[in-house]
Amino acid sequence: MEALNIQFAPETGTEEEWNEAYARLADYFRAYNLHNRIRRTQLILETLRKAAEAHAKEPERPPTAHAIEQARLMLLEWFGKIYSDMNLSEAQLEATGRLGFHLAGGPVRWPQFFLDEENMPEDMGEAMRSALRTSGPGMQISKMTPRDMDLGIISDVAEDTFDRLGRHPLLRYSVLLVIVLSVLGYLYSLFA
Amino acid sequence: MSAPIGSQTANIAMTAGMPPKRVSRTRRATFFSFVGLGTIVGAWLSFIFLSENGMRLSEWALLIVFIPLYYQLNVGFWTALFGVWLMNRSKPDPLDLWLTLNATDYAQPIDASTAIIMPVFNEDVTRVYEGLRSIYLSLEATGQSSNFDFFILSDSDKASQWIEEETAWLELCRQLQAFGRIFYRKRRKPINRKSGNVSDFCRRWGKRYRYMVVLDADSLMSGALLTSMVRIMEKNPGIGILQTFPKQIAADTLLGRVMQYAQALYGPPFMAGLDYWQCGEANFWGHNAILRLAPFIEHCALPPLPANAPFGGHILSHDFVEAALMRKAGYSVRLLPTTRGSYEEGPPTLVDMLKRDRRWCQGNIQHLWLVFAKGWHPMSRVNFLHGILSYVSSLLWFLFLALATFLAATPTPHGDPQALLAEELLLGLTAMLIFLPKTVILLDEVITGRMFKPLKLRLLTFVSSLLDTVVFTLMAPVLMIFHSRFVIYTVIGRSVNWVTQRRKTDGGVNWSEILITFAGVSLLGITWTALGWFVSKAFLLWISPILFSLAVSILVAALVSGSRSGRRFGLFLTPEEYDPPTVLQMMQQNLEEIKDRLQLSPELERHYGLMQVCLDPYVNGLHVSLLRRRRTIDVSRGYLDKISHRLLTEGPQSLNSQELKALMHDTDTVTNLHYRLWSAAEHELAPFWATAIRQYNLASTSPFAHTLASRELAA
Repeated sequence: MEALNIQFAPETGTEEEWNEAYARLADYFRAYNLHNRIRRTQLILETLRKAAEAHAKEPERPPTAHAIEQARLMLLEWFGKIYSDMNLSEAQLEATGRLGFHLAGGPVRWPQFFLDEENMPEDMGEAMRSALRTSGPGMQISKMTPRDMDLGIISDVAEDTFDRLGRHPLLRYSVLLVIVLSVLGYLYSLFA
Repeated sequence: MSAPIGSQTANIAMTAGMPPKRVSRTRRATFFSFVGLGTIVGAWLSFIFLSENGMRLSEWALLIVFIPLYYQLNVGFWTALFGVWLMNRSKPDPLDLWLTLNATDYAQPIDASTAIIMPVFNEDVTRVYEGLRSIYLSLEATGQSSNFDFFILSDSDKASQWIEEETAWLELCRQLQAFGRIFYRKRRKPINRKSGNVSDFCRRWGKRYRYMVVLDADSLMSGALLTSMVRIMEKNPGIGILQTFPKQIAADTLLGRVMQYAQALYGPPFMAGLDYWQCGEANFWGHNAILRLAPFIEHCALPPLPANAPFGGHILSHDFVEAALMRKAGYSVRLLPTTRGSYEEGPPTLVDMLKRDRRWCQGNIQHLWLVFAKGWHPMSRVNFLHGILSYVSSLLWFLFLALATFLAATPTPHGDPQALLAEELLLGLTAMLIFLPKTVILLDEVITGRMFKPLKLRLLTFVSSLLDTVVFTLMAPVLMIFHSRFVIYTVIGRSVNWVTQRRKTDGGVNWSEILITFAGVSLLGITWTALGWFVSKAFLLWISPILFSLAVSILVAALVSGSRSGRRFGLFLTPEEYDPPTVLQMMQQNLEEIKDRLQLSPELERHYGLMQVCLDPYVNGLHVSLLRRRRTIDVSRGYLDKISHRLLTEGPQSLNSQELKALMHDTDTVTNLHYRLWSAAEHELAPFWATAIRQYNLASTSPFAHTLASRELAA
């Protein structure tokens, strides 16, 4: 592990802005479940230094944005090395790499080598590559098409009726009203 | 019968599992003779009483609605009695499928590939995966699990739910070391709901497997039963669908416990009775069953019905139709009598039960189209008719009571001794049809101790049965009113939405929901009582149990939805509560562990999945990895940017479910959201995200473990 060099003197940006960038990076690397604090601090400082250079060139963007962007670039570069033999797009590479590190048990087994391109253990790379997951087994496509079903003559009559009633709600409720009125009329005739 | 396909088993008659026609015919002739005789006697007695002074139109109407009701009563009565007889006769049932397996079969390794599928739709993620874990481990314990694969087939349309399902899948696979054994599939569009989800599985992976076990999100099955089912299917290539009897479990409300008790006590004889007369033309209930995949794929695709929903369109109750199609293809559909190993959960409250019934009602009424379709086995038509009748009978019962009220208001003198005798006989016969099966089953339990061996528990079943009669008597008229409404709604074209079933309550009674739902029923009960008072006091007395139940329906609904269920007095005890099977015990222990977990603030919990996919690099990576890459997207990039911005600056509550889904379906958007969120200054973010960044990993060390128990397998 390289010695920890805590010197950091950005040319642009305020102290408050860089403190905010530091805090955000700390949270971000914690999100990777990196419990090795020394490695986390190393990474934060390394990222902040790169962010400071970028901020000097583009000072209108806040240091926090530069810091996260640099972290992303470092990740892409690191994953690119691990998955160099696979033809992955940028989004796939990022997703596969992060998932691979988690499934390989990286945060517990190799926290000190996270984003370390120089001293990458062979078994870590292998474990990350073999951890690629898919949600289903290889497909074997079958045809499953409904067979024709002869619903009989009643269905033809009913289909027309339902379609007509369905298209005309007024007609539907009129039919219902006629039925109700007929029943009421019958009742009235009995009592009258 | 066409030659069944799908089985690779050698030296076995390809029709094994299809009961001989001679046996089926004899059984049905016997059964339906009793049913027919009972119905005719009832109708005849009713006619004698009504026709004393000549038949009026209203009396004919009463007789017409009476006949199907009496038929249904007879079917239940004789099914139960035949069941009790079968369970007690010394000679084994020659059609008993358990007898087809011998000791050698159990010793053979299982080489048939079987997919266990669980279609889910916005279900409780923890319950789904803990259930699946228990089934998986139970199956592993049999030593025969290597040819079983599990599939979670999601149609969930809530973004957070979707992400939680993905993370739980990954964590479960990691904990069980089951990558390549448990798979997760999320459909982009939930076409044709559950049946479409199953068909989609069949089209993609069906060819890989010989059998498919279909589970519901609340199903639980033991490994021993699963392996036995595969062995039975292997020994009986003539069986297309083998349906188990899923017993209800894990209820904690009075309604749930009464239902699961009644099912435990009365269910087995009813199942035995059904098996007696249904033979090879039983029904499929949609879950806890095993299906032979090749014929299912070839013959059981569901055609859309003519006309639009609710009568036509997509078939809602697909299971009955699939059973009929399987039978039409020449394969039998069998019931497997089981008392242990197959479980499900029931609705916890009366309102939930009614919501479920509303869907089932529409689905069953749709079968009207199919009753007269060509090519069905006659018993499939009977099954359709019984399904329809199970809901239409409520409307018939309502009409019967309405007509009876009308006849009481326009009385004719009854003085003929023969008519009076017919009335008394009819009353006695009806009471017998209602209460005798229960009494016989109860006596059977007390004598044989099928459910419980200790005498004290057997005697307690007496008290429980008396009380469940009270509960069911109070509920039946309420169900009658609602089922009648559902039938009418379906007829006038009011369709149902596909909603998630609630399987647990949060502990309290929801009074506002109960008041809104049952106020009309209570009012009807009170009005009817007032009407009865003016019409005839004697009639009012006769109908009073029904009207009383309607009038107090609000109280009944509140009572049965509460958690006071008599458990501490030993009432409504089931074998699964008294001596829980391992598979259930394991699941309940894990669910208990999760209950004690640290919870985040309610807002963060509500959007937990969404929060994780945006914030957590690993969850984000998982979600993007599982998304299918598309060259083109359904919506414009500008639209996605706009709603991404709103998500970050105004919080998840500012987006509707469609917008959230659109975001979660696009790989680039999901990746960018992660970085945009972490790059933004706190003042640029909605308060939700500012809090989330500080708190999101407080609840558990791993975002994947939040919804699951920690049960690592020993390496």
